[in-house]
Amino acid sequence: MAHSRKRRLGAAVGLAVIAVVGLSGCLQDPNASGGGAGGTAGFADNSSTDGDGKVTILGAYGGDEKANFEKALEKFEDESGIDIEYTEDSDFTTTIKTRVAAGDAPDIGFFPQPGGLLELARAGDIQPIDTFLDVGQLDRTLVPGLLDSVRLTGDPGGDGEVSGAGRLYGAPMRLANKSLIWYPKQAWDAAGYQVPKTLDELYSLSDKIKQSGITPWCMAWNADQATGWVGTDWIEQMVLTLNGVDVYNQWTSHEIPFNDPQVQAAFDEFGKIAKTDGEVYGGVQTVVNTQVADSMKPAFAQGGPQCMLERQGSFEISFLPAEVQADLDNQVGVFPFPSAEASAEAPPILGGADLAALFNGNDEDAIEVMRFLTSDKFGAEWAQAGGWLSPHKTFDQSNYPNQVTKDIATAATTASGVVFDGSDVMPKEVGSGTFWTGMVSWIQGESTQQTTDAIEASWPQ
Amino acid sequence: MTAGTDNPVDLDDAPGSPEAPRGATTNGTGGTPDAADPRKLLIGVVGMVVVGWLMLNAPLAFAFYPDWFGDNKIVISVLALVAGLGGAYFLFFFLNMLVEGLPGRLSRGLMPYIYLLPAYGLIGLMLLYPTVQTINYSFANADATEYVGLENYREVLGSSQFHSAILNNVLWLIIVPAVTVAFGTVVAVLADKLSTRGEKIAKSTIFLPMAISFVGASTIWLLVYQYDPPNEDPTGLLNAIWRGLGGDPQTWLQNSGLRLNSILMMVILIWLQVGFAMTLLSSAIKGVPEDTLEAARIDGASEFQIFFRVVVPQIKGTMITVFITVVILVLKVFDIVYVLTDGRDKTQVIANLFFTELFRNSQSGRASAIVVILLIAVTPVLIYQVRHFRREEQGR
Repeated sequence: MAHSRKRRLGAAVGLAVIAVVGLSGCLQDPNASGGGAGGTAGFADNSSTDGDGKVTILGAYGGDEKANFEKALEKFEDESGIDIEYTEDSDFTTTIKTRVAAGDAPDIGFFPQPGGLLELARAGDIQPIDTFLDVGQLDRTLVPGLLDSVRLTGDPGGDGEVSGAGRLYGAPMRLANKSLIWYPKQAWDAAGYQVPKTLDELYSLSDKIKQSGITPWCMAWNADQATGWVGTDWIEQMVLTLNGVDVYNQWTSHEIPFNDPQVQAAFDEFGKIAKTDGEVYGGVQTVVNTQVADSMKPAFAQGGPQCMLERQGSFEISFLPAEVQADLDNQVGVFPFPSAEASAEAPPILGGADLAALFNGNDEDAIEVMRFLTSDKFGAEWAQAGGWLSPHKTFDQSNYPNQVTKDIATAATTASGVVFDGSDVMPKEVGSGTFWTGMVSWIQGESTQQTTDAIEASWPQ
Repeated sequence: MTAGTDNPVDLDDAPGSPEAPRGATTNGTGGTPDAADPRKLLIGVVGMVVVGWLMLNAPLAFAFYPDWFGDNKIVISVLALVAGLGGAYFLFFFLNMLVEGLPGRLSRGLMPYIYLLPAYGLIGLMLLYPTVQTINYSFANADATEYVGLENYREVLGSSQFHSAILNNVLWLIIVPAVTVAFGTVVAVLADKLSTRGEKIAKSTIFLPMAISFVGASTIWLLVYQYDPPNEDPTGLLNAIWRGLGGDPQTWLQNSGLRLNSILMMVILIWLQVGFAMTLLSSAIKGVPEDTLEAARIDGASEFQIFFRVVVPQIKGTMITVFITVVILVLKVFDIVYVLTDGRDKTQVIANLFFTELFRNSQSGRASAIVVILLIAVTPVLIYQVRHFRREEQGR
């Protein structure tokens, strides 16, 4: 008996040793220094060491964009002695949430749209920019409407106070402009067409093009699993053009239903182009079956253009045929999407911005990087490389590599406002789900009423 | 080697390797059956703790202190390999010693399980745990933070998308396995009548698509079904043929009349699987005893009668096996639909619907519910397959 008791004791001691070694014997991360949200003295803090001359950034840019971004940082890094470590993640929106939840936030994150940023701001993970940036100065140089998008509103659910409501939590460092219409310049100049300022002028222009024997609109929607997004951009453009910024924002935030008459009017307005015979190159079936990147190929066809107009974002440049890209300024022209009625003011644009947010509010180095990134001094090298627009009206336009880019930048910086791409703002089920598929059904013949009802029904409760 | 308990064992005498637990057998046969060996127990426990600690900390050291290893990725990967394999070896070595140190009967009873443990552990971790967790999550909300009862099932079963997916899956189930087995049999029988050389070439050609991945095959067929407007040259094979015959270009994959687009996608799976069916059925046909055929011929049966009355009954088992394998494959069909239409134009199937819900809509609850329904649908087929297999085995 005594024997077995001793054995049991031995086993117990053994287990205890295993437990102690297992639980306490692990190496610890030498860089860890606490973590979590809030921090002391009202700072959003992450777990990286403050003031060590090292700043980590997480963003979605990869490939050429990453290289160009890093090029734009080189001079700053040399002068300030700060080492910026940029990590790319194509699934940024998900990754940033996971890393913040795990107490492993980067010092700075680049949000492609405000929804995810405000969600983390509401949880107290992001430092308000008024503590380290001159907001008044920013507001004067930025395109109007951008800063409003990062203002934390009260709790939308209505239960309880939100600390930090009314404050701003991010600053734009890159602008996108999707309110553009592209045309083949040689043929356009030869025909002597004028840039339309209103929708009516746009329609009479397309009538003129039709009379000359050319289909007015180039259009291509096929993007494999993402087919339909081009259509959502069109609808967003029409909602914005017809109803203005306020209704647009109410629509994307679901304050008005998806099948609101104002939204349905936008569908019908777009239907005048997309669903009318002879308006779109090749007809509906060609639109659905042609890859987005090939949309303007017929505009540069061998025997002269077969379509003249294409509404697409600033990234259309990279879709153009190689020989057109090589001779861009002579081959391609671009003008802002016209407004509904004649107006002295330039219409608001659909587009958006990448928003920089600070997760490490008490790191002087990270703050200095934020000040640089959100100033009009940032981005000259990236602008020269192409594919990047500054959100600042005061940015030196001579940095843009060609006239087309300058025109796009001018259209953006003179706009009376900027709204974010609605399908990015809406919940995923709609924004990259039923809105996409709904547009495909709609262009293939489903009625506006049916389509908007179905999308409204799919909005998560 | 003497590993009896009456002779205290040296460390040198400990079993050499986990593959050859000599100690266990000698201990069982030669030693007094019911006495523990405290030394072996102690060494085993201490050894396991030390090895376990090293194994746990090695990856942490690699991650946190790369400079200890000269910041060299190759050195670190080699060390990681050594730590992983060596660690596993020594862990088993000490575990083996620990079990040997136990009283004889207990040791003998436990030993097999110790070696089965990793396999069972992996099955549990990779198969059982996810299954249980999926069923669990199917009753929870979109990010699995709260239980919502049967809400997911109500939503899934009530959605028109799901109904359409079920209808399509049923169509796939009716058409694909049957056609695959039929084609496979026909090809196998016909190839059997060719010369040896001709048979080889014919079979290889038909087997070739098996080597292509589903996504690769889908991309190839996407080009076959490609649509171009009438004023441009056709680049899709099917439209080129169609226009050659005088037709207007068709958007094949948008045409859901009579579910033509779904049927065109089934063609891809049949194209991929006929080779598989043919190989199995061909060997079955070759296994049919020649004398049964001869007897039928002497009795004056026609070739058709011989095939349906003599050959088919003898290869029925293989036909069912092939049929069931394709049925299970069809229930899981995803890649083809994802690449060609992504469920647009009434082509949705269950697996693609699941993918959309989980990865595009981040609705893990609803996605889990869809998978559980799929699991329930597959289970009877699996049970039938296992039973069928057992019967076949008994018949041998």
